[in-house]
Amino acid sequence: MKWLELVTVAGATLASAVTVVVLYSLGVRLTAIAGDAQASPGFKKSLAYVCFGLCGVAVLFGLYLIIPYFSG
Amino acid sequence: MVALVIALALFFDFTNGFHDTANAMATPIATGAIKPKTAVTLAAILNLVGAFLSTEVAKTVSGGIIREGSDGIQITPDIIFAGLMGAILWNMITWLKGLPSSSSHALFGGLIGAAIAGIGFNSINLEGLLQKVILPAIFAPLIAGIVAYVCTRLAYLLTSRHDPETGSKLTQKRGGFRTGQIFTSSLVALAHGTNDAQKTMGIITLVLIAAGTQETGSGPQFWVIAACAFAIAIGTYAGGWRIIRTMGAGLTEVKPAQGFAAETSTASAILASSHLGFALSTTQVASGSVIGSGMGRRGTSVRWSMVGKIALGWLFTLPAAGLVGALTALLVKTGVIGVLIAAVAGTSAVLFMFFYSRKSAVGHHNAIEVEEAGQAVRFAKTKARARARAHAKAKAEADAKAAATRNAPLEAESDTVTTKDVQR
Repeated sequence: MKWLELVTVAGATLASAVTVVVLYSLGVRLTAIAGDAQASPGFKKSLAYVCFGLCGVAVLFGLYLIIPYFSG
Repeated sequence: MVALVIALALFFDFTNGFHDTANAMATPIATGAIKPKTAVTLAAILNLVGAFLSTEVAKTVSGGIIREGSDGIQITPDIIFAGLMGAILWNMITWLKGLPSSSSHALFGGLIGAAIAGIGFNSINLEGLLQKVILPAIFAPLIAGIVAYVCTRLAYLLTSRHDPETGSKLTQKRGGFRTGQIFTSSLVALAHGTNDAQKTMGIITLVLIAAGTQETGSGPQFWVIAACAFAIAIGTYAGGWRIIRTMGAGLTEVKPAQGFAAETSTASAILASSHLGFALSTTQVASGSVIGSGMGRRGTSVRWSMVGKIALGWLFTLPAAGLVGALTALLVKTGVIGVLIAAVAGTSAVLFMFFYSRKSAVGHHNAIEVEEAGQAVRFAKTKARARARAHAKAKAEADAKAAATRNAPLEAESDTVTTKDVQR
């Protein structure tokens, strides 16, 4: 039985999903903070965009993994 | 026979497409992230792209479940024909019921049933069956559900903001998850295209090899890839609105943050499984994710009766498709007439289900919103029926009373009272 593969799949799923969700949620939170803040909303806003960008990179990495053209 | 099998395989691809639109697009439609028509168009395009992207999975369709090759048995076009028949019919039935069920399991079930009936029980590799179908069926929704639960909790935890002094809620901008949903659901659709169109390509290639028109061990030809890609894309565009309704509104109410978490878990589970070699069913992963995200948000209830129905559907997928496959295989064994009978019966069954579905059409205009309206209408109907029944009863009693007044006026008085009671 392929228990090891099952555990790997479960672990990889959890890790990747949590990464994407945490990054995106932070982005959403920072956008909300930037909307409220009186002082330097621009900085917070750019931080939010950094989070969204990192999230996008994570997704693109996932795409890179599924498309066999790239991986091999 | 070969042409017939190819046509049937393409039709299976079509049903696969519209059966599985829901996996990717039910949650963004439910949260209003994408308009229904746009969503299915997007999914169709991404399925098309995905189908062209990879042909790696194509060869591993039946491998490991049915013993094939030199020491085993040869899969004939007859068996594949019978298997496809079982898969298509089961797909249509579950679609009619609005149940998200795995198209690949239906295919496996059909092929297994056909192989047992056509060749014998020893043609089935039980360990392969356990490993490829039964265990993933248990773990796919479990893994996806747990991951979606964790993600939903995280998403709400990270975006909840309270004023430290007053403790009142601040703006949270959770609507921002809607934008994210467009991307995550696209990812699911793409992953679906890379996975599911392959199965049909694999089958057609298998048939071509078995018929001797293609060399053994070669990959799918270009026209096969193109035909399969378009079949699944058209199917996706047609949209299985019944299943979208189940996934988007039947299991739990979906908010943008939940939808985002669910789609992310679905996408990562599919990607991880297809990349690391423990194949999980897209449909089962997606359903598990939706349930998990439903449990992850406080104040959301999961409709467990619907979950039970879906689970029951999964349980029946293999044997039901197998039964149809087996019956078709027995028919096909009798010769050309049997094939004709099977083809005609299958076509008429599909047509019947299609026209039956017309009676209560679910389209892009009413896939999700109709939920409440449908209940209201039904409610009104039962109410009206109850009123009509009371009315009829009252009338009958009034008639009886009219007959009775001629004989006994005293009795009539008491009757009037009861009639009033009924009317009240």
